[in-house]
Amino acid sequence: MRRLRPYAVPYLLWMGLFILIPTIILIILGFTNLELYNIGVFDITLVNFSIFVQDQVVNALWNSLSYSFVTTLICFVIGYPVAYYLSTLSEKKRKILLAMMIVPLWSNMLLRIIAWEKIFTPTSIIADIFGISLDLLGTPTGVLIGMIAMYLPFMIFPIFSVLEKMDYKLIEAAKDLGASDLQTFVKVTFPLSSGGVVSGVIMTMLPAMTSFVLPARIGLGKINLIGNIIESKFMKEVLGSSGASINQGAIISLLLMVFSVISFVLITRVDKEGETLI
Amino acid sequence: MGKKLIIMKNITKRFGDNLVLDDFNLYINENEFITLLGPSGCGKTTCLRILGGFETADEGTVEFDSKIINNLEPNQREINTCFQKYALFPHLNVFDNIAFGLKIKKLDKATIHTRVMDILKMVKLTGFEHRAISTLSGGQQQRVAIARALINRPKVLLLDEPLAALDLKLRQEMQYELKEMQRELGITFVYVTHDQEEALTMSDTIVVMDHGKILQIGTPEDIYNEPNSRFVANFIGESNIIPGKMKEDYLVEFFNKEFECVDKGFKKDEAVDVIIRPEDIDFVPPSKAKIVGTVDSLIFRGVHYEINVMIEGKEITIHTTKYRKIGDKVGLSVEPNNIHIIKHIKTCVD
Repeated sequence: MRRLRPYAVPYLLWMGLFILIPTIILIILGFTNLELYNIGVFDITLVNFSIFVQDQVVNALWNSLSYSFVTTLICFVIGYPVAYYLSTLSEKKRKILLAMMIVPLWSNMLLRIIAWEKIFTPTSIIADIFGISLDLLGTPTGVLIGMIAMYLPFMIFPIFSVLEKMDYKLIEAAKDLGASDLQTFVKVTFPLSSGGVVSGVIMTMLPAMTSFVLPARIGLGKINLIGNIIESKFMKEVLGSSGASINQGAIISLLLMVFSVISFVLITRVDKEGETLI
Repeated sequence: MGKKLIIMKNITKRFGDNLVLDDFNLYINENEFITLLGPSGCGKTTCLRILGGFETADEGTVEFDSKIINNLEPNQREINTCFQKYALFPHLNVFDNIAFGLKIKKLDKATIHTRVMDILKMVKLTGFEHRAISTLSGGQQQRVAIARALINRPKVLLLDEPLAALDLKLRQEMQYELKEMQRELGITFVYVTHDQEEALTMSDTIVVMDHGKILQIGTPEDIYNEPNSRFVANFIGESNIIPGKMKEDYLVEFFNKEFECVDKGFKKDEAVDVIIRPEDIDFVPPSKAKIVGTVDSLIFRGVHYEINVMIEGKEITIHTTKYRKIGDKVGLSVEPNNIHIIKHIKTCVD
């Protein structure tokens, strides 16, 4: 296997170039007053943290947390029973249902967002055919439905993969020992699937928290998540307007990165073999 | 032996086209250690699962304590199971695994604690209560599984090949301990195994099964000494099966010689199978023997030699402590009560 090592070098270089170096740049930007058009002269400073008291940013942070929380909660409530149902099906039926969930995921996310955008327009094809006229663009409900539709599979898959591997004899054992169906679920099935639930929650909550195309398109820019703020900070800088906005964008990005790393550590704690990460 | 605790009447069970239990009838006495013995696929596990409530019979009734329990859920039966691969809850420690059934019954903490500690002592796992299941050896997991089932004080304990995963030494130890527990607790044990030695060691009653049917029911001695068919004779220990002819009551002919025996009730000159256990054949000087053969092969088995003797083109296996060289001429003798006669059944497999 040693001989295969050199073939890993290109991607390792790639990782260095596009993951490690940008991270270092973000850290430098976030903790200095370095300006994009005046590299070389800068001071180390914590002044960029002041962005976290701006109303706009506090609001976006709150939106990110609350929208991702509600999305995750609803995804869990809808997703767990689906995952459970899937795990009880025969292999053939299960494959069909899984394909119905996975194949749409292979289409570009932006396309799916635009599709929802069209559905939420009062003059959509649904209005034409079924006479149901939805007017959800720019509303919290619209953004939430979009997010749930987008991230639900990421809740279902990890839970399903844990439930599928669970030994059915354990459920029989619980019933044998006198447990009702509900008691069996509460005392055996659910605790044993908790690893999948943690993975599912993180894999739903993180992308939901950081999403920005979806709130921009379906929320019509009225509902800003933290991703939208980061985008606007960096775009402004590129457009050459406000002074320290790239540094502020960097410090917010670093905050999200901290969330991601914590989540990763959490997942690896509950799932040592990585089996729920599909 | 007490009253009939379980009565299975005309039980039939199919999985698709596969007939697993075929008009199966069995009763089980109180305080009995009964073993369902047979090759894999003979229906013994299905029978156990029907008793446990994990399968429902297509036809027939299961009576428990004079009540029909066909439609009772597993959690409503006074029966507990010790599963084949233990099925211990991996997220609970030893104490919580064993206490599971008592917590479901909502007993108070102090009672649960006392009963768990008592049963841990019985299965010799005192001090293991806080251990995680994954840190236990196979034998220890086995004990936890037994404790978890027995703590509920069921009337019947079902055991599905509980010792199959253990090594020989441990298995023999556990056989002894299981038998002891059953005697002390006075609980009916229904034990499923394909290991004839296990069945002979522990059981009060053995039920030999094949293809969803019962072939023979009896005490270990009955089953071993008086097998009623070729299948039983072959499945329980080794047997020499020799074609013969019944001359009259108590007289059988095989290898063209007449022998006294203890069986009767056959037609004159009826073709029969003669079953003789390898350990029931003795060497005698060829001059004094009715049958004489040549030693064909010899294997040392520890306690005894396994010697194959060729007689008129047929090989006879003998277990003996006496040594004979390959090629030696030997005379063989058998006591009349060690000659078992069964009806000859034509089979494709000899």
